[in-house]
Amino acid sequence: MIVCVAVVGHQNNPLYIQSFTEADDALKLHHIVHCSLDVVDERVNNPKKSGPLLNETFLGLLYPIENFKVYGYLTNTKVKFILVTTDLDVKDADVRNFFRRFHAAYVDAVSNPFHVPGKKITSRTFAERVSTIVKSFGLTSAV
Amino acid sequence: MIGVGKIKQYTNVLDKPLTKGKQEVSLSAFAFLFSELVQYNQTQVDNIGELERRLEDAGYAVGARVLELLCHRDKGNRRETRLLGILSFVHSTVWKVLFGKVADSLEKGTEHEDEYMISEKELLVNRFISIPKDMGTFNCGAFVAGIVRGVLDGAGFPAVVTAHFVPVEGQQRPRTTILIKFAEEVLHREARLG
Repeated sequence: MIVCVAVVGHQNNPLYIQSFTEADDALKLHHIVHCSLDVVDERVNNPKKSGPLLNETFLGLLYPIENFKVYGYLTNTKVKFILVTTDLDVKDADVRNFFRRFHAAYVDAVSNPFHVPGKKITSRTFAERVSTIVKSFGLTSAV
Repeated sequence: MIGVGKIKQYTNVLDKPLTKGKQEVSLSAFAFLFSELVQYNQTQVDNIGELERRLEDAGYAVGARVLELLCHRDKGNRRETRLLGILSFVHSTVWKVLFGKVADSLEKGTEHEDEYMISEKELLVNRFISIPKDMGTFNCGAFVAGIVRGVLDGAGFPAVVTAHFVPVEGQQRPRTTILIKFAEEVLHREARLG
């Protein structure tokens, strides 16, 4: 169950945060996403020799907190995608696939000439595509 | 860029592959649009420097979006961290997507360490434009310079990019050169990376 997805700009400013649970814990999710930014920076600045390459976009599992798992993805323009999920067994390929489609939706949203880079993403189409991708993530990973 | 590509109809928009980037736009449509852009900006400004700056700003927005699109479409999972890497990316991939061919040449400047030049025999945007004598050294390639600046800025390599005419003997029309001057921090970072 994906709880929340977030897009964070290259100056660590939030561009898009969407939660998919009915519970009213938006503040906690914001806090989790904010903490994960530090982990992303740490991964980027001190690459583990045995870990991902210096210029790999998918960062993998960032850190587990309470009953959530947080995954990260860094694009070429230092824009970060954060995924918070409560699934216990999440296949790596599924998360990569999710981020690939999410990146495609993000690129389409940014290509909008009326979108100002650095401001929040207000496109309704983007929000709809993101919820479609999130729904299909649950289906493909269900065994 | 001449010709109209065929578009395959997909029922579900999520299935449309982002990698099918071979659709072409007609050259005359682009030339008309660009000439209108230049004319519109000409009515809004008082001097040539301002006109050049406006064209460059228009190109900057295009460059930022082109970078996002190309990184997702062509580059897979790689992120450019080296100077030569990003320069060859601009020189081949970006040029190929925008103009249908790679740029003519990429050179390193001899006087300064932080200068690089991409030159082209004739920029596509300048093909149907002739500059009147009283506009001096104005070059509509400022639009392309803005695109390059947008790409470099988005990738984390701040630079000052300008377009110049370079006269070549034996040819009537001068060659166009895009001059890229990187900021101090880029060179320091590059030296640190070794």
